[in-house]
Amino acid sequence: MSNLLELHNISKSFGALTALRNLSFHIGEGEVVGLLGDNGAGKSTTVNLISGIHKPTEGYLSVDGKKTAFTCRSDSADAGIETIYQHTALVDSLSITRNIFMGRELTDRFGFLRQAEMREIAMDVLQNAVHISGIDSPDTLVGNLSGGQKQAVAIARAVYFKKRVLLLDEPTSSLSVRETEALLNQVLKLKAENVSSVLVTHNIYHAYQVCDRFVIMSHGTKVFDVDKADTTINQLTEYVVLT
Amino acid sequence: MTPILADSAAPRSRTQRQSILKQIMGMPAGAIFLVFMTLQIVCIAGALLYPNEFRYLSPQNLTILMKAIPVLGCLALGAGVLMIAGEFDLSIGSVYTFTAVLMATLVGAGVSAFIAAPLGILAGVMIGLLNGHITLRFGLPSFIVTLGGLLFWRGAVLLYNGAVQVRFDPEPIFTSLFSGTLLGVNAAFIWIVLFVIGFHLLLHRHRFGNHVFATGGNPGAATAIGINTNRVKLIAFAIAGGMAAVAGILATARVGSVQPGQGAGLELQAIAACVIGGLSLRGGRGSIIGIFLGVLLIHTMTDVLLLLRAPGFYLDMFIATLIVLAAIFNHLIERRGLA
Repeated sequence: MSNLLELHNISKSFGALTALRNLSFHIGEGEVVGLLGDNGAGKSTTVNLISGIHKPTEGYLSVDGKKTAFTCRSDSADAGIETIYQHTALVDSLSITRNIFMGRELTDRFGFLRQAEMREIAMDVLQNAVHISGIDSPDTLVGNLSGGQKQAVAIARAVYFKKRVLLLDEPTSSLSVRETEALLNQVLKLKAENVSSVLVTHNIYHAYQVCDRFVIMSHGTKVFDVDKADTTINQLTEYVVLT
Repeated sequence: MTPILADSAAPRSRTQRQSILKQIMGMPAGAIFLVFMTLQIVCIAGALLYPNEFRYLSPQNLTILMKAIPVLGCLALGAGVLMIAGEFDLSIGSVYTFTAVLMATLVGAGVSAFIAAPLGILAGVMIGLLNGHITLRFGLPSFIVTLGGLLFWRGAVLLYNGAVQVRFDPEPIFTSLFSGTLLGVNAAFIWIVLFVIGFHLLLHRHRFGNHVFATGGNPGAATAIGINTNRVKLIAFAIAGGMAAVAGILATARVGSVQPGQGAGLELQAIAACVIGGLSLRGGRGSIIGIFLGVLLIHTMTDVLLLLRAPGFYLDMFIATLIVLAAIFNHLIERRGLA
């Protein structure tokens, strides 16, 4: 079985600063991976690299076993990778529907929006694919939503466009306890539908709840890669803190 | 699978309990619409009660209003689209004069107005693109770049044709097309209504409009999702420049001549109309109907004050008060998350 996404000996430097050194790990089909590490370990650089914002200085990425080079964000989107950022990439002054379809609007051949159709799909995705509490209409402006609801909208976008991997960058940092529960359940639900997720976080407890495997980074490289069955929260904490 | 937080969704949707008034307030440009309607009702009632003292409904007054609105309307539509995309154009007043002088002198030299007018619009579009290109290429605030444009093109008018008035003598068909009447309605007013409809479709019903809102509302998100924000902004700059030239055509066709200093201050009035109409100075927020209502409101206020024989010198003070009140009002609405 080939892995969905693989990183091969990747290094990344910004001038004199080496952010990543010889980093290799993989993400399997329908697998939830926790990418852990303290601040400055290189997690964000890794996310940017996978989503096509940065290019590796050395090494390469492969998707389905085939070597690939992402040159921009839309390359990774085409490969089925959706990044959901800490400060979610949504426009507050637009409705949920318009945000879900932003940049990928359904239009007639003159470029006019097929509004009724988009609204219906948005409604369906919100009700059936992701369960978001407290939203009554896809016409609600995103600016009026809470942090968790916003992330749910971002996930809804990924779900509708049939993404294969979700990269969640510090997804729980600004969420309430209840919203965190909802988000983690969402990740598990997507896994059941064979969508992989990468949880980039320094909250080991949240990661431990849902992840199948953990990749721990320190100083720009991988220091530990272990299945959940073979480790404990204490061991993970030790690796994050002590390496 | 059951909704994870279904039981916590207890609070009923607030919209269901809202009064009609609040629903209108919640719509884009709803608040400005209420203010405008109130003013209209008061004016019409006043005109009916005192037909001789307050001639608001007299045909002459309505004609003056219909002739005055389109010029500022065109400028504000262009400036407004650009503002929603998150940039400013302070040069439109000067561009408006420059392109009008260009068109009038071409017609004076024997060129058909039907060729000269599109050339004027083309010049406006090119100037807009230049503004946009300098702004984006060097990452400068458009406020500064177009402030330069304001002074540059104001000077260019004088360099090109001196400080003299230019006569505009186009074919009669051209004049009737842009300043004649159709069924008693001024042609320029029909044009502005068509532009409002066209811009509304473009901004609120077309993919491009969605990208304009995204670009102004959250440039980072727009880029992340794959929208070329520079391209969107560049097109918006071109629209602002082109609409300034259209305003110049409408004004010139009406008056039959161009004054070299006629555009001064119009750019600020256009931005004022946008702000009154509910556009955010930070971009990403607003509506075409709001911009148009802003223009209507500025002209109605000016007209009413003139009819009430308020001294003309002080008109600016009233408009200024209106702008600041509108800005405060919009800010409050934005903070309450209604708009």
